[in-house]
Amino acid sequence: MGETQITRKDALLYGGAAAGGLVVGGAAVVAVAVAVDNKKPPVEGAPIVAPYVAGDLPTTDPSADAWKDADRTYVALAAQQIAQPFLDKAGITSLDARALHNGAKVALLLEWDDDSVDDLDGIRRYHDAVAVQLPTRSGAPPALTMGGPGSPVHILQWRATWQRDIDSGGNTGVDQIYPEVVHDVMPDDILPAKAAQLYWVGREAGNPLSQNVRTSPIEEVVAEGFGSVTHLATQTAVGHGNNEDGRWRVVIAVPSARKGVGEPLAPGTTWPISFAVWLGSEENRGGRKHIANWQTLVLEAKA
Amino acid sequence: MAKVSNWQLGRDMEYPYAADRPKKQFTMIMDTNKCIACQSCTIACKSTWTWGKGQEFMLWNNIETKPYGFYPTGWDVNILELLGEQEWTGDVYSGETIFEAAPEGERVLGWAPAEEDWSHPNIGEDEPTGNAADTTYIPDNPHSMMWMYYLQRICNHCTYPACVAACPREAIYKRPEDGIVLVDQTRCRGYQECLTACPYKKTMFNLETRVSEKCIACYPKLEQGLQTQCTTSCIGRLRLTNYLSAPDEVDPRKPADFFVHIRKIALPIYPQLGLEPNVYYIPPIHVPAKYLTQMFGPGVEKAVEMYRNAKDDPELLGLLMLFGATERIMHTWDVTGGVARAYDEAGEEIVAVPLREPTFVRPFEFATEVAGEPMTGFRHNT
Repeated sequence: MGETQITRKDALLYGGAAAGGLVVGGAAVVAVAVAVDNKKPPVEGAPIVAPYVAGDLPTTDPSADAWKDADRTYVALAAQQIAQPFLDKAGITSLDARALHNGAKVALLLEWDDDSVDDLDGIRRYHDAVAVQLPTRSGAPPALTMGGPGSPVHILQWRATWQRDIDSGGNTGVDQIYPEVVHDVMPDDILPAKAAQLYWVGREAGNPLSQNVRTSPIEEVVAEGFGSVTHLATQTAVGHGNNEDGRWRVVIAVPSARKGVGEPLAPGTTWPISFAVWLGSEENRGGRKHIANWQTLVLEAKA
Repeated sequence: MAKVSNWQLGRDMEYPYAADRPKKQFTMIMDTNKCIACQSCTIACKSTWTWGKGQEFMLWNNIETKPYGFYPTGWDVNILELLGEQEWTGDVYSGETIFEAAPEGERVLGWAPAEEDWSHPNIGEDEPTGNAADTTYIPDNPHSMMWMYYLQRICNHCTYPACVAACPREAIYKRPEDGIVLVDQTRCRGYQECLTACPYKKTMFNLETRVSEKCIACYPKLEQGLQTQCTTSCIGRLRLTNYLSAPDEVDPRKPADFFVHIRKIALPIYPQLGLEPNVYYIPPIHVPAKYLTQMFGPGVEKAVEMYRNAKDDPELLGLLMLFGATERIMHTWDVTGGVARAYDEAGEEIVAVPLREPTFVRPFEFATEVAGEPMTGFRHNT
């Protein structure tokens, strides 16, 4: 399958097109056998149909049997070349997406091939990540380019660094990047914790990126165009990601109500949905990412 | 892209944002001729601002030996090579800036230093270069024909910063009150685009907080009327923290304006890159003009000549003597009766320094009294 390009023209045109109608790239079949996959191969262009599930969703378990109830959709990815800075070259061409919901929450399982686990940030060292983009309102989808002024999008981003923050209890800094590092006296060695905190300025300033103690690997933001990401004061998304055999499998779950963000993701509704993937090993970060065109998320009505 | 005026280039240029000059511009004047690379400035900066965990690679201030020293490695030669050979036509730059030469999909022509490039702050230290044919210094002795010099480096707090241009988050801003360029620590998302874009490589990444940090021009000191840590710790007294007026509001009584706009003895570093950097260097007088012109632009030879004549130029000499004489920021100065005086914003005298230190001669032989008895003796060298 050839590399797919989404141009600025596509994105602008697509701002008003019907969700899920435009398919990029050629059809392809991914035949990766993993434990929980259902028999059906992922289908390109098919809506991502979230069956209604009674009871709890596997919001932090990418390997749960419940995922077998959802069909996989093949989502084509292309290098982001609409807004500067561009991603020069795509390092991946697709991800597989599926979804479940129980009326109270919507959960997505996203999978893509990446045999390099990048979960520490350093100098020219970037992390793996995936994001889900949803409009805040029903109707025609906002611009693919993270919405636009007056037409916001709701974004849920999972980061490998944040997952490692959680899995390691916050051991994701210099000592992990350079395991043989020798430190001289550091502020945290000799100052009370509160005073030492001042030497981690980003952390002290409350930047969510700078924290290393956290409970969710997912950041929930709203945006009205590239560069306008705003961290939500109330974070409700949960999830979990792991990489086995060169494939990331990440669950992202969010309460259907979307209080203070937008219209609820109610049973029986259909939504445009889009995705982005970052490969840390390819120096992806920020706008240097892989993006998908708008897809369709169908939340099945209660049986 | 907007059209902005860059006086250092003698022409307008392209920049992603419209021009918005600050009321006054933080600046530093460096007299390269006085530096001994003791790194007192580096340590003063490091121990004040960047001794935290995650800041191991950070030297907001560093001193490097030119031409073979760099931090990070190759910072200047790499961008010069990327930009390619460019020309000045007299005092007007006829080449391309890094904004004008940006490739498709990028706002700035840049490169990202690797981890290893940040690992050798003392690379090339004290290594000289050159040969007899290139210098005029002690022409009969080829072993002293070499040259090197020390370059003092902080953030240039540029008028048109490449870090600001490249940040997709608009997380970097220039303070309207004094032109200091700062990274908003709540807004930065650690993309490191600024590290790629800044040709001077003076934004740095914090490994623990995962966001970029940079020289803050010691703004808490500036706000109290004090010069920066690197300035006040300098034992060579070669730095001056000051404010530069906009090019159309030059006031010859202000030290920075006098150096930069009136006498043109302090020159910007790599002005051809197009950032209008605001640290100004009095060039070293013993270095081949060709090399200096590449680094400081076409005014180098005049600046060197003026510096060589400083002993007969009381106005210039007086101002140079005031470097390192006070921790406070000078707003104006004058030289009268062989004494240079600095004044604060209200016109009150801060410090006075004689152009020539008075000398006293003591006789070798002396007479005194010991226990009531007259005694004569000779001074010993103790």
